[in-house]
Amino acid sequence: MARKIKLLDNLRSGLTALENHLVDGYIDGRVSRRELLRHGSVLGLSLPFLGRISLAAGFGAAPTLARANVKPGATIRVACHVPQGAVDPLIVGSEGGLAMIQQVGEFLCIDGSDLTLQPCLAETWKPNEDGTVWTFTLRKGVKFHSGGEMKADDVVATFDRLADPKNASNALSVFKGVLQKGATRKVDDYTIEFHLDSRSGNFPYLVSSDNYNAIILPASYAGDFEKSWDGTGPFKIDKYIPNVGASFVPNENYWGPKALPARTEFTFFRDIQPEILAFQGGQVDVINALPATAGVALLSDPGVDIISVKSSGHHALHMRCDMDPFKDPRVRRAVALCIDRDKLVKGLMKGHAVVGNDSPFAPIYPSTDPTVPQRKQDIAQAKELMKAAGMEKGFQVTLSTEQFLEIPTYVQLIQNWTKEIGIDVKLEIMDYRTYVGNAQYGTSRWLDSVMGCQVWYHRGVPNVFLGGGLTSDGPWNPSHFKNEQFDTLNKSYVAALDLEAKREASGRIERLLLDQSPVVYGYFFNHLTAIKKGVAGVQPNAMNQIFLQSAGKE
Amino acid sequence: MIARFIARRIALALVTLFVLSVLVFFCCQVLPGNVALAILGPQADPRTVNVLNHELGVDRPLLVQYSSWITSFLQGDMGRSYIYRAPVAPFILQAIGHSLKLASVAILVVVPLGILGGVVAALNVHRPLDRIISIGGVSATILPEFVSGIVLILVFGVWLRWLPISAAWPQGAGVFTQVYHLILPAMPLVLVLFGYIARMARAGMIEALDSDYTRTAVLKGLTWRLVIWRHVLRNALLPTITVIATQAGYLIGGLVVVETLFRYEGVGSLIFAAATSKDFPMLEAAVLVIGITYALATLIADLLYSILNPRIRMGSYK
Repeated sequence: MARKIKLLDNLRSGLTALENHLVDGYIDGRVSRRELLRHGSVLGLSLPFLGRISLAAGFGAAPTLARANVKPGATIRVACHVPQGAVDPLIVGSEGGLAMIQQVGEFLCIDGSDLTLQPCLAETWKPNEDGTVWTFTLRKGVKFHSGGEMKADDVVATFDRLADPKNASNALSVFKGVLQKGATRKVDDYTIEFHLDSRSGNFPYLVSSDNYNAIILPASYAGDFEKSWDGTGPFKIDKYIPNVGASFVPNENYWGPKALPARTEFTFFRDIQPEILAFQGGQVDVINALPATAGVALLSDPGVDIISVKSSGHHALHMRCDMDPFKDPRVRRAVALCIDRDKLVKGLMKGHAVVGNDSPFAPIYPSTDPTVPQRKQDIAQAKELMKAAGMEKGFQVTLSTEQFLEIPTYVQLIQNWTKEIGIDVKLEIMDYRTYVGNAQYGTSRWLDSVMGCQVWYHRGVPNVFLGGGLTSDGPWNPSHFKNEQFDTLNKSYVAALDLEAKREASGRIERLLLDQSPVVYGYFFNHLTAIKKGVAGVQPNAMNQIFLQSAGKE
Repeated sequence: MIARFIARRIALALVTLFVLSVLVFFCCQVLPGNVALAILGPQADPRTVNVLNHELGVDRPLLVQYSSWITSFLQGDMGRSYIYRAPVAPFILQAIGHSLKLASVAILVVVPLGILGGVVAALNVHRPLDRIISIGGVSATILPEFVSGIVLILVFGVWLRWLPISAAWPQGAGVFTQVYHLILPAMPLVLVLFGYIARMARAGMIEALDSDYTRTAVLKGLTWRLVIWRHVLRNALLPTITVIATQAGYLIGGLVVVETLFRYEGVGSLIFAAATSKDFPMLEAAVLVIGITYALATLIADLLYSILNPRIRMGSYK
């Protein structure tokens, strides 16, 4: 396809230097089309605009998001984990709870299943030159279910509420060091500015559906969400019964295309097995989050469609860098070299995962450096490293973890593999609450154990994995990894605005983590959704959110 | 005399319930975990965890928490759930209603069936029918509910599609629909209890059949049917009634597995969820409700026992 220079110049004439740098990378082949879409969306460029850039550059148009060919008016029945506690956007943290608030509420932008940000309540967004101020333009004519129009005051109040340390806000971990109360400012009724504590190139993700607490609520919201369920979303609450289920009906005043289903019904379950049985018995049409190991029977069922969304969720195997026998990085590398990652993906995860490379940079992240060599099982090299570290006779160590889905099988595999280099791993598998304890150093098996394994759920950007789990002052750094070089690189990664600078920083972090190996990232599991044949248009993402406005029956 | 008997039983039950409430409170403190973390998830900011624990009042001294709760409880307020941030009473009442319905369906099926099984086995003692009932009953009792439950779901819910898998009936459903939804979850309970009841009924029947009064009744020339109905069954069922009463607590509060499998919000799963999330007010209130149910069931069993066998009533107070 020929390049249309004049059209391309016209399109680029209004772009900032940062945006033009991204387009240059695309034209020169350093940035793929997928990366152009993902990173362009972070910078606030719309998908249609990026499609025109792609066309003008001679690479074809961007794919469009078409609605499935379904009949409207269906009732879509979803099996969902029971929300843990009261449904309150400020504190919600359980899978079931965040799926509930997302049915009625909306975010400034939505993090799609491919990590491309799409406008929602904000139409556009732009950073200033150094990435410390982000300006969002709000969509006009959006109404809350209670009738008022959504304006800048509502957005300011929402983010002030979320960033206030006096509130029990579950978003504080995301906004720590980035956004404070009072830093969200109204410019006019439809424009707001976020004044950040420091540069952040990923900031739009922090106000997107990726930060599941950040649904926009009316400025007058004073708590007790279960009484009002007031949001701007395509569905309104019909009925909510704690521990039992919820139903939703279309919002007739929705700003976008009206929801296709006549009704959606969520049935709450405490365990996956009854969910699967209810699905097989025809009592639900969709299982929102299906674990690969527990859901084997459905994965090969011809009457079931499986949507497998790549994620950055993983099971992190940590080793205490400040305690024997893992003080020496060579020993940690030896353990990492014992892991057969291909077998983990094909066997343990039934193909619904991708191999990890001992850093939280999952392959789905556009900034992950593809030139970093992939670590593979190499027992001979592991033995050499053990010998060099004076550990050729091996040692005994206890691996603590939780009884959760495939984790017990995963750690048994680790136990077998590390036996080959003389490590005698004793497994200490306990229930989730005993393992996590108070989630603070000194009172948590997770954070205090010499070796342990813990689930981390998907994030659209790796900021929490890096800042929370690996930096010297990270609140959930179970490997007690303290490395100044890493801390500096992390800061530069978070601050970088353009994709290539981000990739440069992440490449250095990935190489450093391969060398130090405080944590083994064996695989990144996919988010699976099971859908009965004949039901279409269901759009899940790796955050456990499920978008049903385009769903129907064929 | 019967009034004193009841009064003494109630006084004993109150002391038991008080001890139970203290035990539950302190056991709840020993449980691992943190209330705020159970709501927020493990990767919540420590500041958020502290603020939420403070809002919920779980950072207060233990004795303050307990005395505050027991004072409200004695005034008729069961307290507010830490997790749901709402009064616990509606949760408990709904759950106890569900549990009673499931227990009733199970009891209505298993009691006549178990007694009939035990009587038939005793009348055919050491014959093949006795062996089939005895061995079959014991095997069914040993079979864990989650195994029998899954098999029953697969057969009747997934393959044949005769019965609904979920015990939760639609909103506004009538009695028949509710019972229809409870048939499948009641079946594993029937299997578990049939063996107990049949064995006790069989043992009581064999003892009664071998007794002097039965021999006398036969020698008086009464018909065999009349002997069984008037003399044997009345005496044979005394231990069976005790067994049924002691299973009441299990049927109301011990069905966590069945309730989870059939997605039924009974007291068992409510207690389990409250214990795992350290929701002390919910746990305490639910356990006390079970305790009261158990005390009432035992009292009723004792009364029935004493009505059926006056020697016991008289013997207690001579």
